[in-house]
Amino acid sequence: MTQRHSTRGAWLIMLASLITIAICVYDYYTPKTGLIGTGGVILVAGAAALMLLASLAMAMVPNRSCFLQGFLVVSILLDIIGSSVAGYFLESPVIMAAQALALIGWLMNVIADAADRSVEIDEVEDED
Amino acid sequence: MKIKAFILGAAGLAAALAAVTLMPAQRATAQGPNNDPPQVWDAFGGNQQAQKYSTATQITPENVKNLKMAWEMHTGDVSSGERSTTWGATPLFVNNTVYVGTPWYRIVAVEPDTGKTKWTYASNGGEGPPENQGLKNRGVAYWAASAPTAGPCQKIVYVGTMTGTLHGVDADSGKPCAGFGKNGVVDVNAWAPKNSKWKIGLLQPPAVYKDTLILGWAGNDWVYKTENPGTVYGIDARTGALKWTFNIIPPEMENQTGTANVWAGISVDPETGLAFLPTSSPSPNYYGGDRLTEMPYATATVAVNAETGEVKWSRQLVHHDIWDVDINSAPTLLDIKKDGQVIPALIQANKMGLMVVLNRNTGEPVWPIVERAYPASDIKGEVATKTQPFVPYPEPLIAEHMPPVSKLADIVSFGECSRWKARIRDEGRYTPPSVRGSISWPATLGGVEWGGGALDPTTNTYVVNSNIVPQIYSLVPRADADKKYGSALRDKDGYAAQQGSAYGFKLENFLNMWGMPCWTPPYGTLSSYDMNSGKLLWKKPFGQVQKWGFYMPESWGSITIGAPAITKAGLVFIGASMDSRVRAIDLKTGNTLWRHIVDAPAVSQPAIYTYKGKQYVVFAVGGNGILTPRLSDQLVAFSLPN
Repeated sequence: MTQRHSTRGAWLIMLASLITIAICVYDYYTPKTGLIGTGGVILVAGAAALMLLASLAMAMVPNRSCFLQGFLVVSILLDIIGSSVAGYFLESPVIMAAQALALIGWLMNVIADAADRSVEIDEVEDED
Repeated sequence: MKIKAFILGAAGLAAALAAVTLMPAQRATAQGPNNDPPQVWDAFGGNQQAQKYSTATQITPENVKNLKMAWEMHTGDVSSGERSTTWGATPLFVNNTVYVGTPWYRIVAVEPDTGKTKWTYASNGGEGPPENQGLKNRGVAYWAASAPTAGPCQKIVYVGTMTGTLHGVDADSGKPCAGFGKNGVVDVNAWAPKNSKWKIGLLQPPAVYKDTLILGWAGNDWVYKTENPGTVYGIDARTGALKWTFNIIPPEMENQTGTANVWAGISVDPETGLAFLPTSSPSPNYYGGDRLTEMPYATATVAVNAETGEVKWSRQLVHHDIWDVDINSAPTLLDIKKDGQVIPALIQANKMGLMVVLNRNTGEPVWPIVERAYPASDIKGEVATKTQPFVPYPEPLIAEHMPPVSKLADIVSFGECSRWKARIRDEGRYTPPSVRGSISWPATLGGVEWGGGALDPTTNTYVVNSNIVPQIYSLVPRADADKKYGSALRDKDGYAAQQGSAYGFKLENFLNMWGMPCWTPPYGTLSSYDMNSGKLLWKKPFGQVQKWGFYMPESWGSITIGAPAITKAGLVFIGASMDSRVRAIDLKTGNTLWRHIVDAPAVSQPAIYTYKGKQYVVFAVGGNGILTPRLSDQLVAFSLPN
């Protein structure tokens, strides 16, 4: 059964993903970054691409099942954590900053969605 | 870095005052106003004494954080795959020019303040199928006539090739010197016909003393029992004529073995005219059953008269070497103040991680060398010597036994590391190679690698990088080797034929299924000694391992190839590490004060010079496939902004 879920924060996550991908492309092809041609950068770029898809789904499909909403929320959080750790070991402050941005977007979405659910429950209780 | 170590761990669990003669040579070069005396960097080791020391004081521990790239240039000589390049050149600064050799055996002359190319010389020595050493270069040598006459070639730059030719080129124009050999080329390989299995590789530039070049060569001592015997050549610097030879292998042993050649740098005492030769192990490297006769000049430090080749003294540092622990760096010369005396000395830090300090006029140890008992070989026909030289003081760079198995590497590989360790023979330093596999500790990577250390001769502070790397050596009985590998001389799995002997050989890195080292870090250190007292001043993990782009904790250090250089201002400059960074270290504390990413690991020794009032630090950034696949052709200079 689908419900309307919040799209708030999704655009921020999308922006963070795009920044991450751009940084990874730059790092992968630039000798002075120390990360030229490295698998770690491809890994982070891949994770960012997945995050981009997830955030697109979050933004474009407001009417989604609770399962899909849970899946998106959990997978984006895991993606943020994983990419942050990777950014730390890649010694890339920009990747870590982008993940912080994504985390803000994620928090906005989760909080807004929880608030929406709370209003719905209140409304149901009022009807009772 | 504790955080990083913690995160990684958690992730793994879930998943003397120097004598004046020893001060670096200071020769007049055109300089602008400058606080530093005019200086050059005209030899592989910075100067003839291999001190790697600069009197420059413009860059200090206080302002080094402002260091910026002054210029960079790319030689164009880099390649991977079958023709992979290895570039560990020390750039030279002399004659108002930076000279550097390339792994395609070219010479590139560069303006010292802009990096613009003045001229290039192509030896064509990198063409054709790769010879035994492939495309590998550690730089060029420079000679200047003491009484120059009119005409060219009063100053000559030399580069060797993988095909055993030595090229002499006019330092001003880059044109071949017609009077040197045949139109500027000496075919040194033609002097080495005995047991010739391959062309000798002249990757290491010769040492220069007065009008004599002292030249060793690199071989391929893993593949045959009998190979080219290691011979060192004294060559007329002006004409290329052979002046003398020094044979390391005794004539009666030449049909049983070979090599023991000098492939590393050579230092020279300009006062006594003694050249100090670090010699390597005889062939085949890992089975000595056919070469049990003593060969005292092998795996030794040998002092010879630089103009005649006559031996003054020698000291063998590994008896009957069956581990390939060549003496692999030019000894650093110094004058030690000890017990009220000034001792003319040399430091021969070696692959075994020992700090051998000898009187350079007599070969007698400054601090005692003791003969320590080591394990016997269990290989039929092999007789490992009962004792080996050991230097308890100054403190060895590495311990007597390898570090314990890494719990992290073991857990994530489901116990692979500990199971492997239990299967093989490990009795510490000098455990002989065996059929079941033996830990070689330290392994052929060292200990100390071919760069050796650097010395501040005003304080006799010596700084040296060292590796902490066990590897696994296995002997393969000939019948098994022939069955599995046929007539192949080498295989990608680490096999080397040692053809003609009773055993082939296999070298394995002690890594788990994920490529993680199976031993606890650190993997490399940087150490500082007071060589007047022999006291270890500090020792720290150095560099960072970088795998798939991820930097491991600084406390893990890195395997290093290359060497440091020291300045009078109290800085140590060094690349060498796996993480493609060059660093400035505080000489007093060992703390990193500045670091900069370069295109690949700078597996070389930096050159330091002042020109037109500005101090430059130059690195050849070539990479080395042993460390990482990242290779480059970058020559990069750093200086303070105007």
